[in-house]
Amino acid sequence: MRSAGYAPLRDYAAIGDGRTVALVASDGSIDWLCLPDIDAATVFAAVLDATRGGSFRLAPTGRFTTERRYLPETNVLETTFVAEEGVVRLTDAMLLPGDGLAPARELARRVEGLSGRVPMRWRAEPRFVYGSRTPRLGRRGVTPVATDGHQAIALSSWAAGEPTVDDSSISGDFISRQGETALLVLSGADQEPLVLPRRADVESRLEATVAFWRDWAAERAHEGPWRDAVTRSALALKLLIHAPSGAIAAAPTASLPEQIGGERNWDYRFCWVRDSAFTLEALMQLGCPSEADAFFWWLLHASQLTHPRLRVLYRLDGGARAPETELALSGYCDSKPVRVGNGAVDQSQLDVYGDLLQTAWLYGRAANGLDRETGRRLAETADLVCELWRQPDCGIWEVRSEPRHFTHSKMMCWVALDRAVRMADADWLPPSHTARWKAEAARIRDFVETRCWSDELGAYVRSTDSRELDASVLLGALMDYRGAHDPQMIATIDALRRELGRGSLLYRYSGEDGLRGGEGAFLCCSFFLVDALARAGRVDEAAEMMEELIGLANDVGLYAEQIDSETKDFLGNMPQGLVHLSLINAAVSLGKADGA
Amino acid sequence: MSAWGAVAGGFVGTVVLTTAMRAASELGLTRMDLPFLLGTALTADRTRAKAVGFVLHFVVGQFFAFVYFGIFVAIGDGGWALGALFGLLHGLFAGSALVSVLLPVIHPHMGTPVSSAADRPLLEPPGFMMINYGQGTPLVTLLAHVAYGAIVGGFISLAS
Repeated sequence: MRSAGYAPLRDYAAIGDGRTVALVASDGSIDWLCLPDIDAATVFAAVLDATRGGSFRLAPTGRFTTERRYLPETNVLETTFVAEEGVVRLTDAMLLPGDGLAPARELARRVEGLSGRVPMRWRAEPRFVYGSRTPRLGRRGVTPVATDGHQAIALSSWAAGEPTVDDSSISGDFISRQGETALLVLSGADQEPLVLPRRADVESRLEATVAFWRDWAAERAHEGPWRDAVTRSALALKLLIHAPSGAIAAAPTASLPEQIGGERNWDYRFCWVRDSAFTLEALMQLGCPSEADAFFWWLLHASQLTHPRLRVLYRLDGGARAPETELALSGYCDSKPVRVGNGAVDQSQLDVYGDLLQTAWLYGRAANGLDRETGRRLAETADLVCELWRQPDCGIWEVRSEPRHFTHSKMMCWVALDRAVRMADADWLPPSHTARWKAEAARIRDFVETRCWSDELGAYVRSTDSRELDASVLLGALMDYRGAHDPQMIATIDALRRELGRGSLLYRYSGEDGLRGGEGAFLCCSFFLVDALARAGRVDEAAEMMEELIGLANDVGLYAEQIDSETKDFLGNMPQGLVHLSLINAAVSLGKADGA
Repeated sequence: MSAWGAVAGGFVGTVVLTTAMRAASELGLTRMDLPFLLGTALTADRTRAKAVGFVLHFVVGQFFAFVYFGIFVAIGDGGWALGALFGLLHGLFAGSALVSVLLPVIHPHMGTPVSSAADRPLLEPPGFMMINYGQGTPLVTLLAHVAYGAIVGGFISLAS
């Protein structure tokens, strides 16, 4: 049920084509779509402003209930409307291009009458550039179109009623009868004329799209009790991979709030270096060598311009600029400001160096080494870490308060130098600075053990000399700063559960972060905890948590970044890549621990 | 006046025309994509269509440069100003009869107000002066063709 025009975030499913992603609510409304790419401006953004954002609604006119699923092992969504007059099945998909001339972007909505005679209504209200532009609506022949500058969409329909075009929308009504099929297709064009598709070609591309996803999912290698959740997570990640570059967006959405009515609203349509090691590990665990290869080389290319320094995040095209601006939208359930771009791009986060070198280590192991040029660049990065690690930073969570000496950042600096030494020992990196890297790594460890450990709390704390806890130190166990069996790490795990835990859920830190208000439990941290427990040999405890966490996914198996620990409402951008990555890695760790 | 001037002017003029259209597209003034329009007459593959379309566009640019050259020779006059006037007429012709009337005859995917996508996928009909591809398209098209004409006229005269 919508409240003030907004569906619960839990109600959204995602469909995509490797270029962009649409969010489809359970009531049949497409409330988010960026064209032509995932990081472009929106055509539909009703999830951020129910009045001005624009949407594409399609549903029975009367009362109805819905059931949803993805077609098995695909990113093709099936919504079944059960109305008083009968039952209708809606299939939504972003179509993949085939051999013939096809629209640059194509969103298909197929309506099948399963029983009865169900009055249906559809209405598309395109609002280009985040709702800021009133489109020019018209027709090309019989096909309604909406245009604005270098962008245009066409709405082709077959057996879906006579389209009506008014000043602000394209709409139609029809009766869905048992055995009959209607089809609506939204075609997008950017800097080129529209392509108006043929119905038979659309049907054919829809079938090919289903087949593509099934073939892709069938090649993913994971067996075990959480296979379905892992497969769904893999498919969700595939939606976030920007096909032209291989970069992975953290999420396909912007400014979905971490607190309803709050200011913690960020644009996640970028690739974060901090996710890189998890990304590569998950892709390799899933048996996605081509995606892993593309991602690693994209990361090296993107970071080349800023080498040896790393930005916190990069645009999906590899660009290093992401200026943050605020939009004149009301925000999801009045959660303002609505931001696009991300100011974190200019922050200093020392952990990213550890993530890059860990990623290179993982890639090198899979590829049996690294080339000399890559090795030289990574060695220069390790040298930089020797100079930088003493500085305070904004930490993995990108706090907007004063920089601190975050424990996790120091741990990851140690990881950076440890992996540099390992890679030099393997002859992938020039060995001339190995002694320096070892010496600095020892100093970092000494710093962490003396300044970041609290005897009083029995745990690694959030930052030097603080009494706050931070779930990010779990990554110290996952990245082998200390093994998960280590007594100090076990004590930290228990302290985190005690202080930051709510059942199977974990909040990410205590203490301030420079922003007003609070936030929900952080799902990726909850999966980090499962992973750490599994590695610590506490398999039953980890499995129980895993079961509970998987039960918290929405009806189609997706997660937002955060969840309200009381109401279980989703919060933050969705579907969030890091949550699905950490689910996959936790399932793999559990599988290994179970088999050990 | 020389034929080599027409060759050079046709090449440089087409480079300028193509670049101007592309820049206008980036600026949101038009969705006109001449290489895409021309290339999809020969192949349904998008990437290949744009590459083929670029080649075709340069061939067409050479053809029109020689048409200009022939008229200059016939009337015994030339120069960049007359070329610019020819470019204006050329732009009007391209935006009206050429794209809307002649191209649909030979282009298997070019839509018209009376065509139907039931038979084959269609490119959006361009409309008069290709205004369906953006409100700025007529002006951009005319200015780009005026620049083309001036360059062709100038090169032909310079080479004399």
